[in-house]
Amino acid sequence: MDKKTLLLSTALVALAFPAIAQDQDLDSLTAEELLPLAQAEGTVTVYSFTSRIAAVEAAFEAAYPGIDLIGHDMSSTEQITRLKAEASANIASADVVYISDAPVVFNELLGPGLVTSYVPLRVADLLDENEKEPLLAQRLSTKVLMYNEDANPDGAPVSNLWELTTPDWTGRVIMVDPLQRGDYLDLMTEIVLRSDEMASAYEAQFGEAIDLDDGIENAGQQFIVDLFENDLILVSSTDDVNAAVGTLGQDNPPVGFTSYSDRRDNEDEGWALQVANDVTPSNGIIFPAVLAVSSSATHPAAARLVIDFLMGDDSETGGAGFAPFYVAGDYATRSDIVSHPDAVPLDEFVAWAIDPAATAEIRQDVGDLVLSLQ
Amino acid sequence: MPLASARPLARPFRLDGRLALKLFVLTILGVLVAAPLLRILFETLDPDAIVAWSDVTSGRLSRNLLWLPLGNTLILGVGVACGCVLIGGFLAWLVVMTDVPFRRTIGLMATLPFMIPSFATALAWGSLFRNSRVGGQTGFLEGLGFAVPDWLAWGMVPTLIVLIAHYYSLAFTVIAAALATVNSDLVEAAQIAGAKRGRILMGIVLPVALPAVIAGASLTFAGAVSNFAAPALLGLPVRMQTMATRLYGLIEVGQTARGYVIAILLIVVSALFLWLGNKVISGRRSYATITGKGGRAKRFDLGPARLPLFGAAAIICLLTTVVPVAILIASSLAPSSSALFSSWTLHYWTGASDPSIAQGQVGIFSNPFIVSATGLTMALGVAVAVTTTIIGLIVAFVLARDGKGLLAGTINQISFLPLLVPGIAFGAAYIALFGAPIGPFPALYGTFVLLLIAGTAYLLPFSVQTGRAVIQQVSGDLDESARMTGAGFLRRLTAITVPLASRGLAAGGLIVFVKIMRDLSLVVLLFTPTMPVLSVLAYRYASEGFTQFANAITVVILVISIAATLLANQLQAKSQPWLKS
Repeated sequence: MDKKTLLLSTALVALAFPAIAQDQDLDSLTAEELLPLAQAEGTVTVYSFTSRIAAVEAAFEAAYPGIDLIGHDMSSTEQITRLKAEASANIASADVVYISDAPVVFNELLGPGLVTSYVPLRVADLLDENEKEPLLAQRLSTKVLMYNEDANPDGAPVSNLWELTTPDWTGRVIMVDPLQRGDYLDLMTEIVLRSDEMASAYEAQFGEAIDLDDGIENAGQQFIVDLFENDLILVSSTDDVNAAVGTLGQDNPPVGFTSYSDRRDNEDEGWALQVANDVTPSNGIIFPAVLAVSSSATHPAAARLVIDFLMGDDSETGGAGFAPFYVAGDYATRSDIVSHPDAVPLDEFVAWAIDPAATAEIRQDVGDLVLSLQ
Repeated sequence: MPLASARPLARPFRLDGRLALKLFVLTILGVLVAAPLLRILFETLDPDAIVAWSDVTSGRLSRNLLWLPLGNTLILGVGVACGCVLIGGFLAWLVVMTDVPFRRTIGLMATLPFMIPSFATALAWGSLFRNSRVGGQTGFLEGLGFAVPDWLAWGMVPTLIVLIAHYYSLAFTVIAAALATVNSDLVEAAQIAGAKRGRILMGIVLPVALPAVIAGASLTFAGAVSNFAAPALLGLPVRMQTMATRLYGLIEVGQTARGYVIAILLIVVSALFLWLGNKVISGRRSYATITGKGGRAKRFDLGPARLPLFGAAAIICLLTTVVPVAILIASSLAPSSSALFSSWTLHYWTGASDPSIAQGQVGIFSNPFIVSATGLTMALGVAVAVTTTIIGLIVAFVLARDGKGLLAGTINQISFLPLLVPGIAFGAAYIALFGAPIGPFPALYGTFVLLLIAGTAYLLPFSVQTGRAVIQQVSGDLDESARMTGAGFLRRLTAITVPLASRGLAAGGLIVFVKIMRDLSLVVLLFTPTMPVLSVLAYRYASEGFTQFANAITVVILVISIAATLLANQLQAKSQPWLKS
């Protein structure tokens, strides 16, 4: 086994120089032209932050027989740690990186050159500038407040985020530990960045100006402190949040921050998840899910073919490649894919769009605040 | 003796050979054990990283980074040590000293829980007791309509129970071996003098067994404080952190300096308690001199308590072996863990991708990735068993035949050092040392070699112990005579010691194999997608909420481990004197 790895890495080094020139050529190829090269490569390894990679694998292998897609479902946080460790060890494992956590990805993966951008030419004109630069965004994903529509037939039980800090919601708000999942740390960070809006929302809720605790700098931080002190329940995966909030037949279900798109599993899992969109000042964050080629990819053609596939075809719903993501709550970046009929249209959706650069600046401090509260 | 010490002077070449051998062994141990540990220490002393020490120990984060996890860790350690000594000691007393029925069976079953991975027991606990606090599937009891309170489903209590159920067999083995050496003459003398059973127990049996009780307590303490799986699976949902889970979390989110500081402190805590244990035992050394052994004493007649005590032992054994295994098997077949015994399906074992079940995950035997991980894990187990047995034998040989002097002392100390280092801290140290290229050597991160050497180093104390035991079986005279005829070290080892000790070595190797198969804490940080090992895959499935897949993989590990354990027991039958009637 070790010999094999050694051989492989030696071969890699030998190939490195021609590969750089080759990569630029690969970027301009169409899917049809990539296919024979990808088939010669045989396999392709994808690090994916969503478990839907299992469905993508089945669809991809059906569309392009002869290429084995190996999908690894890993949180964005873990992908970043692994990719950095693998780079310093000079080993190549991933070909495609499918990841959220854009603030960290831009700084720590793209900056040092661990991943490279690839935008299939055929979709370039369908995307906004910030969806191609610095990395290709495949869709917009969310971490927003969701409730159980079975137990709340008249709509969301929460209309202001500050309600979550009141005794009505003690022990009944659930989310993933922000120290384990970057998306949730981004959510906490955005709340701090939007402190002015949080301060006015506080006044709207309680009828008086917010009074900050000692050592607390702004309304966003105060909200996080109050939320944790109200017996916020932390779990380790979004599916745990979904089940807690969504499971049918509960008398007094909790609310939680999770992915709007997980509403797609309502029928299969016996959930009644619905988004709370009428919330002051916002219900959470909307952020890009990005695709990139690993700079040390050993299957560069197949990697590009996977990215091309994940961007969907020219039909209204994006076809087989986009099918796992054509669900209420995921918003395609391609302008020609229409929003899912069941979803709140993007322009009516109140979630805050994150600013990766601003987030990256204070993220560590917010993380330390969260750590001190646990 | 004078001849032996004069020989090196007369034949300087021999001295060089011995010295070279010792230096060779020392180099191996240095690379395997000392270097990784020194590396994490230096890593935290780096000017950029040194602030991590104050963050962890005194800053506003220290309460959550260190003190609360440390408190939980110590509660777990002490609780598990007490529980294990009580249960293990009780069973050992029953099996060795009383006329309880089915002693052999109880004796065998009491050694099995240690071979069941602790994450398997933790998963089984979840399948039974999981409540709706964190949503997802509820467990079997809630499915039956019982409301399981949080304290029984999550946190300290279930973690304690699961760890005691896992580690008590360690205490059993140590205490049973000690009880088997109780001098029957003493017991009989006391009986003749008219002492009551209780007085014999307190006055003779307990003092003789005390070193073993303390050894059992400190070993189980060390196991509990370094255990990762049980607190991770049962504690995190209620925000209960131990030092092991905190270390894992910090490394996973890239805060390595803080993580290394926690790792070093965890090693210190673990080492401190093992050292205290040794201190107490060595203070009591006088008792160990009662070794002259008469005939086997008449067993305690339990009288009317015979059946109730047998019942208690049987329940303990069943609850810690058969029940968790049965639950795991059932829950790998049941679509919902709240209805464990209905609508069984093989989907989680062999099914094809179905988008409506678990995001389209295929059954474990239909997943080529898991199939290759099975092969890789077994290959790793075999490879570690071979390398660690060889190195352990060489170290033991050097110590046994020439154990005096500073070099030998250092070799002895270093070879037992990994015993003090929790697996997860060891994993962190190996990443720090071998995560980047060193001079001309390529980085080992993500390679089979890294897993192999980490596993070898981690289990070295065990294999040195096995090596010593088998070498002691082989009379030193044979070795001496071979040396007189001019046979070299390797020739003596391969022509005399190894053939004569092959049974014991094979049994020791099998146990190493099992330890690697079921280990999670060492490999959880070393894991990479290119080198998948089964235990980590099971842990990841479990933390994603795909319980059935996790349980199915665990059953695979269990089957392989138990088969190897039973084989080892067969080979080792002679070394368990308490099973003889």
